[in-house]
Amino acid sequence: MKKTKILVKLPVLCLFVVTALAGCAEPNQAEGKKTVKFWYTWQGPETKEMEKLIDEFNASQDKIKVEGLSQGDVQKQLTAIVGGNPPDLAVHPDENRLASWAHKGAMQPLDPYIKKSGYDLNDFVPGAREAVQYKGKTYGIPMGMNTWMLYYNKDLLKEAGFDGPPETIQELKKYAKKLDRTKENGRLERLGLNPGANFQYIWMYSFGGKMWDPESQEVTPTDPGFRSAVELIGENWKRHGAKNMDRFQSGLGKYNSAQNPFLAGKHAMSIDGIWLASFIDKYASDMNYGIAPIPYDENHPEAKKTGYMNVNLLYIPKGAENPDAAWEFLKWVTAKEQMVKFDSGIGNLPPRKSAIGDPAFDKVPGIDAYTKYVKERDLQPLPSLPFMTEYLAEIQKQTDAIYRKKTSLDDGLKEIEKNVQPKADKILKK
Amino acid sequence: MFTQSAANRKTSNIMTVKERRDQWLGLAFASPFILGFLLLTMIPFGQSFYYSLTEYDLFGEPQWVGLGNYQKILEDPAFYKSLTNTFFMAFIAVPILLTVSLMIALLLNLKVKGIAVYRTLYYLPVAIPVVANSILWLWILNPQYGILNTILRAFNLPDPAWLLDPMFTKPSLIIMGLLGTGGGALIYLAALQGIPKEMYEAAEIDGANAWSRFRHITLPALSPVTLFQLIMGLIGAFQIFTESFIFANGATGGPDQSLLFYAVNLYQEAFVNLHMGYASALAWILFVIVMLITLIIFKSSLRWVYYGGE
Repeated sequence: MKKTKILVKLPVLCLFVVTALAGCAEPNQAEGKKTVKFWYTWQGPETKEMEKLIDEFNASQDKIKVEGLSQGDVQKQLTAIVGGNPPDLAVHPDENRLASWAHKGAMQPLDPYIKKSGYDLNDFVPGAREAVQYKGKTYGIPMGMNTWMLYYNKDLLKEAGFDGPPETIQELKKYAKKLDRTKENGRLERLGLNPGANFQYIWMYSFGGKMWDPESQEVTPTDPGFRSAVELIGENWKRHGAKNMDRFQSGLGKYNSAQNPFLAGKHAMSIDGIWLASFIDKYASDMNYGIAPIPYDENHPEAKKTGYMNVNLLYIPKGAENPDAAWEFLKWVTAKEQMVKFDSGIGNLPPRKSAIGDPAFDKVPGIDAYTKYVKERDLQPLPSLPFMTEYLAEIQKQTDAIYRKKTSLDDGLKEIEKNVQPKADKILKK
Repeated sequence: MFTQSAANRKTSNIMTVKERRDQWLGLAFASPFILGFLLLTMIPFGQSFYYSLTEYDLFGEPQWVGLGNYQKILEDPAFYKSLTNTFFMAFIAVPILLTVSLMIALLLNLKVKGIAVYRTLYYLPVAIPVVANSILWLWILNPQYGILNTILRAFNLPDPAWLLDPMFTKPSLIIMGLLGTGGGALIYLAALQGIPKEMYEAAEIDGANAWSRFRHITLPALSPVTLFQLIMGLIGAFQIFTESFIFANGATGGPDQSLLFYAVNLYQEAFVNLHMGYASALAWILFVIVMLITLIIFKSSLRWVYYGGE
């Protein structure tokens, strides 16, 4: 009996071993060809656009093979880098973590590659270039750019007696108040303005504010402009109370759906990126809406010249196996032609000056307003600070407490400074 | 040596060949656990203690800071906030849920028609994975469209904003926990059925009413199980994480930090802020707290837990 059992087991065991070996052998099949493991955070239909480019690159030459993987969790990239088995090329969907990762040494500086291959960074919008630099070195190349604008529902504005969008903060406040709607039982039915709960760093530009002073190397949450931004976002909370706001927000539909609050008329005005225009095109093509620059404070007319932007970026992780091959692909995919194809395909703005306004973008909903905006303004990214994620989390925590009246505006802002500045001192003095 | 008596041999270190072989065999069979425990538990355990005395961001070398992390923790408002929230779950939620599971067990112990069906029904929710369950409750507790508020409104009762109102976030977790009490109830039920009927019969003959029988027979007889469930419940409460992570959209702590539990704060420090040293120190403090509380309960249990046969 025992013998027969072994006889049965042996082939099964062999089968396992053979399959395992076969699995091991696969990646080495193409000899002399370097493989670039590429993790990107694009998902769904965006994946298709990226894979098209990867196929095109792979077919264009026979030295490098790029293997793309859609992998939305940025934290996993870090785990892989720490574990010593990182991809050769990876994407961050925004630049918030770049300084922190660069500071830790998780990203390779690209300057040697840029110099060697004569890559021209001057074609990039200044803000986009700043966004990928830390302490004078470049750690990533931007692939897409975003900025936020004011969407307004023309029908609702007309109903309330407004002909055009608000241009100044003073007008905006008047509009917002008049466009709010509450039911007889006092419950909120429509918000005049959705300023974005955590967009203090966007609104501060309207008041000429800042969150970081590069001279003194200090965080500046108590800066009057930043304070005004916190206050502006808090206006809805002040007017309606936390209970009413919570209830209203919990009843709003999913962001990427026909029930998006702006599409559903729950927000008469909203701050959003260019993708909202695509949602409208897809789910509510007959909607009567407009896109306008974010209003500025009357007392700060200089705010008409600036604004907020961010980028996504490609970078080479520390410990990458084939960094040279990764750079070859990185260089190719961020060139104007590929960038135009990809960004127009997924409805992003291109960070290259020469690509902005390219006819390929004509099919992207909302593009005219955004193109005009980015061309006219000197848009700024978040300051490149290695403690940015902690700073943003602290702002979110304290402003939430302010809006819920757990603390006063000034105490909350001072608390941010008190909690974040020591981190800044420690990291930057190292 | 061989002159030792058999009685002595049992307590001495001398083993026969067979005994020795058995011992090695036994150790060999237990080796997956022993190795696993040493490699995957004890070594990381020691390492985390070392890291707790350093500053470590996973990339650079750990920098020795002595007790600096522990000192910083004592000054960190997030530590106290997370501890208060966690204590709420441990000392308010756990006893409530334990009481409810005992009540369910008593009901499930009744001899009524179709009791097996009821037992299955009560146990069923336990089989739902935490993440799926949390997402389900996200809908049940939705202030506008949720079924719970729809029912409350139908009876003209107040309809709180549950997971969005800092006052109601933790009570929401208790309500959610209620549906998961089937597991505890099942353990109680098994214990209930182990209580000898003669005791109740004797008590009845002596004229004890239902309450006295419950108070003086059922509760003491169940006390070892209560001790077990209490300790497991407390340990679980100190590690609560998933629900908060899902309800608060990541390790954010939710509205007014009302869902910032100890493990959530630890996760945030370790994996978002990459303060591995600080997070290790947090973990060690949690370990000490859980040890102390368990110890106190064990000591006090001498006074309220009755083991049969003693």
